[in-house]
Amino acid sequence: MSTDGVVALRPRRTAPAPAPHEIDDWGRDPRAVGIVWGAARLRWHVTLGGDQLVPKRAGALVVVNTRRYALAPIYTAFALAEALDRPVRFVGRPDVAPAGPFVQRLGGLLARADEVTRALHDGDLVVMGAEPTAHPRHVGRVDHRLIGAAVATGTKVLPAATASAPFRRGARIEIGSPLTANRKRRGPLAELELADQVRERIAVLLGGFGGVATGTPLDWLPFSGMGGA
Amino acid sequence: MATGRRVLVSGMGGELGSLVASLLEDEPWVEALEGIDADPPRRHLRRAVFHRVVPGQHDRIVDLITRFDPHVVVHIAVWEPYSRANPDQARYLTDDAATSVLGAAAECPSLESIVVRSGLEIYGRRRGAPTRPDEDDRADPTSGYGEMVAGIEDTANRLAQRIGVAAGALRLATVIGPHVPSPLGRLLRMPAVPFSVLADPPFALLRERDAAAAFVAAARVRLDGPVNVVAPGAMTALRAIRRGRRIPVPMVGPEWRFAAQIAYLAGAPIPEHVVEMFHRGRLADGSRLPQVLGIEPQWTTSEIIDDLYSWPSIIHRPARVPAPGMVA
Repeated sequence: MSTDGVVALRPRRTAPAPAPHEIDDWGRDPRAVGIVWGAARLRWHVTLGGDQLVPKRAGALVVVNTRRYALAPIYTAFALAEALDRPVRFVGRPDVAPAGPFVQRLGGLLARADEVTRALHDGDLVVMGAEPTAHPRHVGRVDHRLIGAAVATGTKVLPAATASAPFRRGARIEIGSPLTANRKRRGPLAELELADQVRERIAVLLGGFGGVATGTPLDWLPFSGMGGA
Repeated sequence: MATGRRVLVSGMGGELGSLVASLLEDEPWVEALEGIDADPPRRHLRRAVFHRVVPGQHDRIVDLITRFDPHVVVHIAVWEPYSRANPDQARYLTDDAATSVLGAAAECPSLESIVVRSGLEIYGRRRGAPTRPDEDDRADPTSGYGEMVAGIEDTANRLAQRIGVAAGALRLATVIGPHVPSPLGRLLRMPAVPFSVLADPPFALLRERDAAAAFVAAARVRLDGPVNVVAPGAMTALRAIRRGRRIPVPMVGPEWRFAAQIAYLAGAPIPEHVVEMFHRGRLADGSRLPQVLGIEPQWTTSEIIDDLYSWPSIIHRPARVPAPGMVA
């Protein structure tokens, strides 16, 4: 199977789903998520905005900006899962023990377009990060192959700005309205254009966070939570 | 579905094979049912004709199958390593059965369809492999059992292409059931069970009744191509051990070899593909099953584990004839 996001789509499974406290088909363990999220709250106090824009039941791809080592997709997935009371997966689990299986229990997916496509097709909510940057106001490149998964499955793509500080608890997530491709394309240009559009939209959302912008190298210091509590 | 079909089941003596045969007996489209195996069937069959054939009797197998001239061949004669034979024997018996049964089936003029047993082990668990592979993913086995089932699928596909019949493969998750000889089932029921403390990844299972239903449906619809058959949900070794109130024995890596030796002496040898599952997990996308075969597994993986631990170790059956001097 290639990882270009082109996978054959099938009707969704209708078999009785495992009980809510059981490990699901992807290996996500709600109990492990509950324990880790409980501990993670000691580190982050997350303020979530725009969650009413996220589909309550249907699949969607949420794209967040990530500052290096900030684990933004993970705390975004946890915060969304709590707010929406539904499982949320995130992209970017390693495939080596012990981290790989542990992150899988928390809802992590491999950064493969076919995995994201299948999860979205199953009606899951998936959070993916843009390429990490050192500056909290910059948005890295958005992997168009993963955006292609949303295009292939016809699911919504929502941009989300995140901000957190390394030495403070405050973290903020602001989800924007769903984006659709500006033009109808027959080929992979649709996902490329949508990825660029998502990146620009996240930058606009980040601008809305306010915070100090001196225009000097001080802005590069990752101390600001930019509107975080 | 055309009626009046003759169906041959190889491996009819095993728990899964005899269950498939008993379900096929109730199918209205099945006119005649015959089976071969080295051991007699595990349950009473009303219509099926059973032939006990010792492995290696190629001439007899060819003679029986060509005389029966089946329309559908259901090939279940697959020996999972350490289920009923050690890995070397299992590989030999499986390859031998696949070659002789499928080879004989190719000589039958009425043959329309072949359904073979395969396993999720065919996808392998190499680093970077998809978490939930589907049937379009490349077969890339990383264990001996995976190579065995890949060999069966390859034999069936080449044969089907050559003679122009349908060839379906059911890629089963690890089959667990009260009387199914399963190395995983035996291991999990031991008083103390090793698990990989650094990984403990999730895996999915399958109940033998769901597997049997899939074989019957595959034979009915003339399945062409592979289909994953996997129960919903997943389980990790540690969670299974805790559900069964067994003693978890954490393993880091090198001591697995030692644990395997201890388990071997205790009567629950651990084959390579089970060790791989405990380290790398084994899940699969089963969404094609309802689309192609129109059925869905009725047991979730958690229910299968709970059921595994509810089987009695010893079943006491009262004597049918009272002992002399005893009042019935």
